[in-house]
Amino acid sequence: MPDFKEEIRKRLVALNLAPTRENEIVEELSQHLEDHYEQSLRTGVSGDEAYDAALNELRASDLSGPLKQIERRVQQEPVVIGRDGNANLLSDLWQDLRYGLRMLAKNPGFAAVAVIALALGIGANSAIFSVVNTVLLRPLPYKNPERLVMVWEENSKQGFPRDTPSPANFIDWRDQNHVFESMAAIVEASFNLTGAGDPERIDGHGVSAGLFSLLGVEPQLGRAFRSEEDKPGGSHVVIISYGLWQRRFGSDPGIIGNPINLNGKSFIVVGVMPRTFQFPTRKDQLWVPLAFDAKEAGQRGSHYLEVIARIKPGVTLQQAQAEMTTIATRLQQQYPETNTSIGAVVTPLHEQVVGDIKPALLVLLGAVAFVLLIACANVANLLLARAAVRQKEIALRLALGAGRARLIRQFLTESVLLAALGGGIGLLLAVVGLSVLKRFIPPNISQAQAITIDAKVLIFTVLVSILTGLIFGLAPATHAANFNLNDTLKESGRDSAAGSRGNRIRGLLVISEVAVSFILLIGAGLLINSFLHLRNVDPGFRAERALTMKIVLPEPRYADKEQRGVFYRELIRRVETLPGVSSAAVATNLPLTESGNSVGVSIEGHADPAPDRVPIVITRIISPRYFETMGIPLLKGRAFTEEDKSESESPSVIVVSETTARSFWPGEDALGKHIKVGSPSNNDNKWLTVIGVVKDVRQFELVVEPKPQMYLPFTQANFFEPRALVVKTNLEPLSLAATVRKTVWEIDKDQPVSDIASMEHIVSESVARQRFSMLLLGIFAGLALVLAAVGIYGVMSYSVAQRTHEIGIRMALGAQKKDVLKLTIGQGLKLVLIGVAIGLGAAFILTRVIASLLFGVSATDPITFVAISLVLIGVAMLASLIPALRAMKVDPMFALRYQ
Amino acid sequence: MAIAHMASMLDRELKKGSAELLILSLVQDRPRHGYDIGQLIELRSRGTLRFNIASLYPLLYRLEKRGWIRGRWVEKAGQRRRRYYRLTSAGKKILAAQRDGWREFVEAISLITGIQHA
Amino acid sequence: MAKEKPDLVYGTLDMLILKALQHDPRHGLAIADRIQQMSKDILHVEQGSLYPALYRLEAQGWIKAEWGVSDNNRKARYYKLTAAGRKQLSAEEEHWLRITKGIDLVLAGG
Repeated sequence: MPDFKEEIRKRLVALNLAPTRENEIVEELSQHLEDHYEQSLRTGVSGDEAYDAALNELRASDLSGPLKQIERRVQQEPVVIGRDGNANLLSDLWQDLRYGLRMLAKNPGFAAVAVIALALGIGANSAIFSVVNTVLLRPLPYKNPERLVMVWEENSKQGFPRDTPSPANFIDWRDQNHVFESMAAIVEASFNLTGAGDPERIDGHGVSAGLFSLLGVEPQLGRAFRSEEDKPGGSHVVIISYGLWQRRFGSDPGIIGNPINLNGKSFIVVGVMPRTFQFPTRKDQLWVPLAFDAKEAGQRGSHYLEVIARIKPGVTLQQAQAEMTTIATRLQQQYPETNTSIGAVVTPLHEQVVGDIKPALLVLLGAVAFVLLIACANVANLLLARAAVRQKEIALRLALGAGRARLIRQFLTESVLLAALGGGIGLLLAVVGLSVLKRFIPPNISQAQAITIDAKVLIFTVLVSILTGLIFGLAPATHAANFNLNDTLKESGRDSAAGSRGNRIRGLLVISEVAVSFILLIGAGLLINSFLHLRNVDPGFRAERALTMKIVLPEPRYADKEQRGVFYRELIRRVETLPGVSSAAVATNLPLTESGNSVGVSIEGHADPAPDRVPIVITRIISPRYFETMGIPLLKGRAFTEEDKSESESPSVIVVSETTARSFWPGEDALGKHIKVGSPSNNDNKWLTVIGVVKDVRQFELVVEPKPQMYLPFTQANFFEPRALVVKTNLEPLSLAATVRKTVWEIDKDQPVSDIASMEHIVSESVARQRFSMLLLGIFAGLALVLAAVGIYGVMSYSVAQRTHEIGIRMALGAQKKDVLKLTIGQGLKLVLIGVAIGLGAAFILTRVIASLLFGVSATDPITFVAISLVLIGVAMLASLIPALRAMKVDPMFALRYQ
Repeated sequence: MAIAHMASMLDRELKKGSAELLILSLVQDRPRHGYDIGQLIELRSRGTLRFNIASLYPLLYRLEKRGWIRGRWVEKAGQRRRRYYRLTSAGKKILAAQRDGWREFVEAISLITGIQHA
Repeated sequence: MAKEKPDLVYGTLDMLILKALQHDPRHGLAIADRIQQMSKDILHVEQGSLYPALYRLEAQGWIKAEWGVSDNNRKARYYKLTAAGRKQLSAEEEHWLRITKGIDLVLAGG
């Protein structure tokens, strides 16, 4: 036997292998050549020829080359699909991206549905999150806003858990506390701006001089008030808003130090505030010093201020509250006639501003989260179905060595791509949606106009997009890459691995979609129901065809009620002659527009109540035809007439509301009874005789039960004055506006009018917030329903396509078309019913969350629940119908053969 | 000649690609040594497929490194020790996968070329 | 340890390209699409492998390139089979058949 070892070793020298390894290889290969040699011999050739043949085998090709690769590193061979290894991650990703895009482009229908579903979910989320971000999360634009608070009088005993403080109380609070750095009061003030163009009514506030430094804001031009200007005599100075400065004074910096004409008086402009300053609301355009005189400062019984304070550093809210309660208690003992039931309550300013809408916004946030979940479930379903369809491709690639990790990565890239597209479009939707939304947001939410998509929301959207991509991409990706190859390829042509397990997952996804959309629909249904109830509340008056506007007669020119009376009478007379007008009237304010002025009263014949039990009655000063114009029914007695002149000429009279009559004189006839404003010993006020009883009207909001109300004629009462005009017409109310305003100017050319609106509009605006919540939740619930229906359709379609074979067999075995139809719809129905059942259970629990937003409807209102269930089942059946019809059309021969 | 040259690329690649599959399948039932494996391939395929020493052993070593086959020096009575290879459990799985993959691939090409196999 | 990847089409790329051009001339991407389509989406050919193969086949004289206008009115290079190419195609197919038969024989156990 010749020795081949040397020849072999020669060829291995270059490899520099470890000696043991080299010996091993040499031994094995030489045995091979020896066998070859022996084989050759057996065919009959000579020893030399056999030896050469064996050597030729060795020489025929390169040994060291391939061995080198094996013994050291394994080299990559060129491949057609992708490259493995981390050699070039970036180029791999780029390739995955291109591949993903191509895959999506090949299935535009699927991609479109998925992208749209995601866009809707992500868009809704971004929009609502923007709102939440701005309104709830963004800090108020003042220095250290977390230390700003409002301080209210606490008077639950008399029905005012948060009452506007009186000046004397405010002053005592301010002087006696040790917890606040500073304290300021503000009061609503509005002025007629005249002397430069059309007279205009400007809303503003009287403020303590220290207010601006309390807030930490400085005027953009000029200066803030000085403390000596906050006193009578030094107080004819004014600070104006940026908007007013721009609009009426041409942004002229020369305005500083110059006078403007407010309410007929001259006020020097000392400052202009920055454009972003909107305090306390965006309607305020000028600020004047409060400048209490001695009498005003001593007023303890008139409650009309708002108080804002800054907590000292290091003091907690609780400590501040405790101190204020202590001070209030002290005042209770010091001034029992006025303060007996009055405490103090401190609330953070931020809460004050957002408190109302927090619950609604949070509910909305929950709702859009749900919508996103449903969208993700839909897309997950879609991807699962597609993965199942692409099984053959997956199987082949896996068998041919494609890395599982790589496969998963490619699937993930596809879904992240989908999510990115969805996110991008969603962001667009959010921007558009927000600008539409802003027009409907109830106006009393501050910073509402500042809502924009900002960096936080952008990041949020991106995160949500990527998260959705990963979450719903992961399931199908790992699912696809993990199934058993043998099983898959055995059942050629039919979907197997995504068979029972995949179907189960898809079924679960659909069930959860149905359940979640059920919850949303219930929420929306309840809100809609509640809103309808709200709208059906009888406001107590007729709002149709009534024009309203505010006319505030400034004191300097209308110093007493006689002069005002002249104006009103003339105004009403002229307006009533206008064509199309049936009647006109004036009143202190109109229902649903303001909180309403109230006074304490004494009732003749009733024992003097303790100071904290004094009945408080909402009071309106009106002209004779007010009830007629407003359509408030007169229940007993009569309304005021021209005969009810001033107190010196006629008896002092009063009209009360039903509730008042019932609570003050239960079981008796209210006509003829006497009431006095203020305490019985108050000699400024006369006893008033009740001459009529009218129906209650809703004062603050439709939701709130009416409190006691009463009406006085403007000829007799002088403590409030009428500021609103209402005109009943048979025309479209707003069409009269210009004419009425002209009429006003005919009487007094410097008298501005404002807040022109129809009464119907006012009523509608009073439920703006509820309408807004209802609309939004309704939209989201609708979205959810559509998405769920699409999901059901998709799953049913897919299931039918997969079961073509089975259906074929059934039909071949005698099943009728309608049996197949029943079978298919039955499948869908089963899923939906389970989903609805789960949804019902969850809804019972979850709707308590919106209970605070409901009116007249319980959170478990059975009608709503039943109606929504029926709607959902109906829609689901419809969604299953088309695939079911398709199932019916299966041709058994075709189905079987295709297998 | 051009045709022979090009066809040999197909040959080369096909063989290279199917090599692992062939080897794994041959050591499925019983352990074999390298020469035996080479012979079986050549004989069973009636000469169509032939692996020479320089293509066979690197392949075996590679499969061994991957853990799909295991090589053992076995000393039979009265003979020198020889290195026998057998399939591992991992290799069994791979073999099954590659068999199916190969079948799929052939089917795919057959779809294209319209050439059927018996 | 990095996995080794076999050439997915085991050297049948040339044959597949020629087959794709058997009935109509096509341009590069259309050839890749056709292969994909003919194999019911199982086989994907990357541009990186396709064009070198096309140039090689052209150099061998089995396909010929011409400028034409594509669907979206762009100038594109269209490839078509030559007579020599047709012969090569059948040669390759025959080789394919022979070798795979051989493999099957080995796998089946002789």
